[in-house]
Amino acid sequence: MGTGGLSRVAAVAANTFRETVRERVFYNLLIFAVLMTLSGLLMARLSIRQQDKIIKDLGLACIDVFGIVIAIFIGVGLVAKELERRSLHPLLAKPLTRDEFFLGKFAGLGMTLLVNVAVMTAGLYLTLWTVESRPDPRMLKGIYALYLGLLLIVSLALLLSTLTSTTMAALVTLCLVVAGRFSDVIRNMRVVAPAVPDWLVQALYYAIPNFRNFDFKDRIAYGDPVPLAALGWVTLYAAVYIGIVLGVGARVFRSKDLV
Amino acid sequence: MSQASGNTPGVPAIQVSSLSKSFPTGWLGLDRRLVLRDLSLVVHHNEIFGYLGPNGSGKTTTLKILMGLLFPDRGSVTILGSPLGSAAWRYRCGFLPEHPYFYDYLTAREYLDYVGRLFSLPAALRAERARDLLERVGLAQVAGIPLRRFSKGMVQRLGIAQALMNDPEIVFLDEPMSGLDPIGRHLVRNIILELKRRGRTVFFSTHILSDAETLCDRVALLRSGELLKVGRLDEILGLDVLHLEVVISGVDGAVLAALPGVKQRHSMGERWRLDVEEPALGSVVRAVEAAGGRILSVYPVRQSLEEYFFKEMAGSESDEREWGLAD
Repeated sequence: MGTGGLSRVAAVAANTFRETVRERVFYNLLIFAVLMTLSGLLMARLSIRQQDKIIKDLGLACIDVFGIVIAIFIGVGLVAKELERRSLHPLLAKPLTRDEFFLGKFAGLGMTLLVNVAVMTAGLYLTLWTVESRPDPRMLKGIYALYLGLLLIVSLALLLSTLTSTTMAALVTLCLVVAGRFSDVIRNMRVVAPAVPDWLVQALYYAIPNFRNFDFKDRIAYGDPVPLAALGWVTLYAAVYIGIVLGVGARVFRSKDLV
Repeated sequence: MSQASGNTPGVPAIQVSSLSKSFPTGWLGLDRRLVLRDLSLVVHHNEIFGYLGPNGSGKTTTLKILMGLLFPDRGSVTILGSPLGSAAWRYRCGFLPEHPYFYDYLTAREYLDYVGRLFSLPAALRAERARDLLERVGLAQVAGIPLRRFSKGMVQRLGIAQALMNDPEIVFLDEPMSGLDPIGRHLVRNIILELKRRGRTVFFSTHILSDAETLCDRVALLRSGELLKVGRLDEILGLDVLHLEVVISGVDGAVLAALPGVKQRHSMGERWRLDVEEPALGSVVRAVEAAGGRILSVYPVRQSLEEYFFKEMAGSESDEREWGLAD
């Protein structure tokens, strides 16, 4: 992809970001702000150590949950809505290729999630500061890993939206996220269901993305260290997985008849 | 804006060869419905080419294949000498889809700027083109209003503007008059004629025959996915006079009833309008003058595109119903 291609991807990404801003996706930040304010007020009676743990727990969980909801429900609609309303028809008749369009959509929602996560992170640090907790730089490592997980969810949502209806794509993406959170259960499936063939268990375990890899919330809440090596491995895992999923999605989209 | 340039001599603007397209049907999609059969046509540079046919005849499918939105089962297409898979022609073409939808959270100015970015136009040129085009299509006053507040006709005008953002050599317009009021239609007609004056090629589909008659250098007639005819309108319709329309006054109806060669007569108060066979004109004129009447006008009537189409479509009432004759 040359500079022209990159500038077109950037144009699609910027427009996708603008869409989420104007469609009021960031309203979820208000809910987050209310939750953080309430938690700050309610925790006032607890000891500093308890406050710190509960606010971190709640804040990180909010960043995770709000991010997942945005990644799935906006992710599946990004391309599907364009297909349904045919708004991409005049665009694809221009020098914009389908790959560039697909990648631009991914990048745009990635930007939206980045801003969302960044604002929530700032809110979380602010809440911790109001209860006089010391700033914990390890939280940034955990939030970075959460963000990588969200990008993976967006790529899955995009892929599925090119294959099936919006509702089905949202449902399947959600199932994959839930299954990926319980990958240990899949690995130990034969303990409770010995009839399931081992190859199927192995295939499911490796095919479904392991979202537990992106979850450092407990370590952070309990004050355990988050080694940089672990973050490096998670980054590599996310990059490879996202690359494969986007590659398959772009390939499907490339050969699709736009009726 | 510049004159069209870079046309290679002998290379047509558009060349379509043996194009066929089918869509899956049935619950499992195992059956196929053929919507375009073995379509071949050539569009020359600097002509206005009308692509005509009833709804469902395959016009939009053809345009979508030309724009790379659909993939043909068979056949090939070259645009400005480049195959469909090439990106080169996309910089030199504009496209207005049928019933366009644009992002309703953007303003008209923002949308055109977005389109300009896809052509890698510099910011100053994007702003200048957007301003000029919005002026041309009559949207300058509403350039800053979100598109969700636009009427259908305004969206259609914006569709024309975005198709011209790159100053294209070929413009593909799918039903460009759709949703437009008479003023809007007049404006689009003028834009199409201006494009031709500036050396551009226009390929537009329509089922409004009067538009084709007034604008097109050549037309292709499509029926059920098959090409019925391609050529100049006078070639297709013929130059033969069907009959003469003669308007007279001062003659009694009883006199006219006895005249040979008068196919029909219509009373218009004190005047009569007669449909006269061409060879009988002399005898009719003499008879009217002999009866003390006056010849007010003689007008040769040729076959219209609409009449031609109804003749061709005879036996297919459903097709006839699809024609927007009221338009």
